[in-house]
Amino acid sequence: MELYKTLEQAGLDPVKVALSSVGQLYAMSEDNLLSFKHSLVVESFKFHYQHNEFFRHACDSRGVLPSQILTADDLIKIPLIPIHLFKANDNHKLLSKGLNTIELEMRSTGTSGIPSVSRRCSDTVDNAILGIYAMYREFLKLSKGAGLYLCPSTEEIPEMGMIKALNLLAGLLDTHKFMVKNETFAPEDALEQLKGWGGTFDRHIIGPPFLINRFIRYLKATNTRLKLDKNTFVITLGGWKRFSGDMLSRAEFNQECIEYLGVREEQIRDVYALVESNVIAIDDENGVKHVSPFVHFSVRDPKNLEREVELGEIGQLAILDPLSRSTPGFILTEDLIRLLPKKDGAGGSGQRMQYVMRLPESKEFGCCAVNLDKRLDDLELEQQTACPIVS
Amino acid sequence: MYNDIIIDNFSNPKFVGDLESADYKFEIGNPVCGDRIHMQVSFDGDYIRESRFRAWGCATSVATANIFCGSIIGKSVNEISARKNSEISDMLGELEPSQQHCINILSELHRELSLAVSLEEG
Repeated sequence: MELYKTLEQAGLDPVKVALSSVGQLYAMSEDNLLSFKHSLVVESFKFHYQHNEFFRHACDSRGVLPSQILTADDLIKIPLIPIHLFKANDNHKLLSKGLNTIELEMRSTGTSGIPSVSRRCSDTVDNAILGIYAMYREFLKLSKGAGLYLCPSTEEIPEMGMIKALNLLAGLLDTHKFMVKNETFAPEDALEQLKGWGGTFDRHIIGPPFLINRFIRYLKATNTRLKLDKNTFVITLGGWKRFSGDMLSRAEFNQECIEYLGVREEQIRDVYALVESNVIAIDDENGVKHVSPFVHFSVRDPKNLEREVELGEIGQLAILDPLSRSTPGFILTEDLIRLLPKKDGAGGSGQRMQYVMRLPESKEFGCCAVNLDKRLDDLELEQQTACPIVS
Repeated sequence: MYNDIIIDNFSNPKFVGDLESADYKFEIGNPVCGDRIHMQVSFDGDYIRESRFRAWGCATSVATANIFCGSIIGKSVNEISARKNSEISDMLGELEPSQQHCINILSELHRELSLAVSLEEG
């Protein structure tokens, strides 16, 4: 609380300072970082308690007041918003600010087809963008190169959260191209584009795992082995479960990237993000995901959500996100994760996570990528089964 | 970003819910972006007595569904079908480019209502 107050007394916004100090936050001791995150979350809790009738009612009915969240151990008392409420047709009640303050609506649509819509005011958009860029810079250090986007463009689907987050990367690159257009993907064109950039740019491949996997399947089928550049990144964001329910194996995916794209394992980086939250977690060179240091993950026992599981145990992810001003950022997700202990010699404080799977009782899985993958599958099937007609 | 018509209809939707007995039900949606509106309408003779909706999607599309419900109560299908495109777009007020697709949603609601009623009668 001391650091928070010092920043505030100096006329600074502690959230904005945190967003621009990712490296410094990771360099803090675990206790100091947790204490600072506690201050950020408590202030956010106060704001939403004051301005959001729906959330305040939920707090009052549980007898929880902001004044009771005195230490980091008390964070577990903050009432959580189940993530499915972002899909509810009365999700206007989640707003802590009037609709006239909302600058950006983003969505994700999983297997149910019902969109989860998150609404961000200007302040939240500022926080989200600063936070995402700060994490991209911290873990990827990208400032040049060419991005082969194996996904549709934001021009085609501007409101899709996953595409928006990936598109932010494009601003760090010299050039980029979206290879999925009008729900079609021609891997031959992707290959040509990569060849065209060869020798001029570091070539990065960016997209949801399914679509990168689809490109690798093409390379495999044509026995094409590429050798991308030493600074190449293969950056994935989105689910690993297909519409059919089959899981893509991360280990297998990595192996195929190594074999067919000619990259080293540390060049493959997966990103965990949710459209409803402003957190992202990015793989380091060892494949360990680091959570944004200004957001707190609390992993709950799915059978008793008021209890946190031990470090290393699998549980249901609750996110305490102080960046969100338009809706409370205290969200109970349907994702099962585990927080990982810091390995000896691994520098930096902060939370490390491993995504495990979507909660088995969850009514749906996936994001917009899962529907796109299905659509591409359906189109392929249509082409294969089309009756040959001679005209 | 949002005009007052959209703010009011999104923030205080009077017609969200279900009818106990609907004479007609129809749904419109966009499979890519996921916008979906489910409508229910009941009649008293030739005139619409009640209308309710459930909507999933952007704030403007949710508001559009509420505006549509409010605009058809007490009217006959013939009156509603006679609305010109300019009248339909005026119902939503001034929209930003990212919200313009809701004019199509509102036009589609008009078309689907006429279609649902004519199919039933035919």
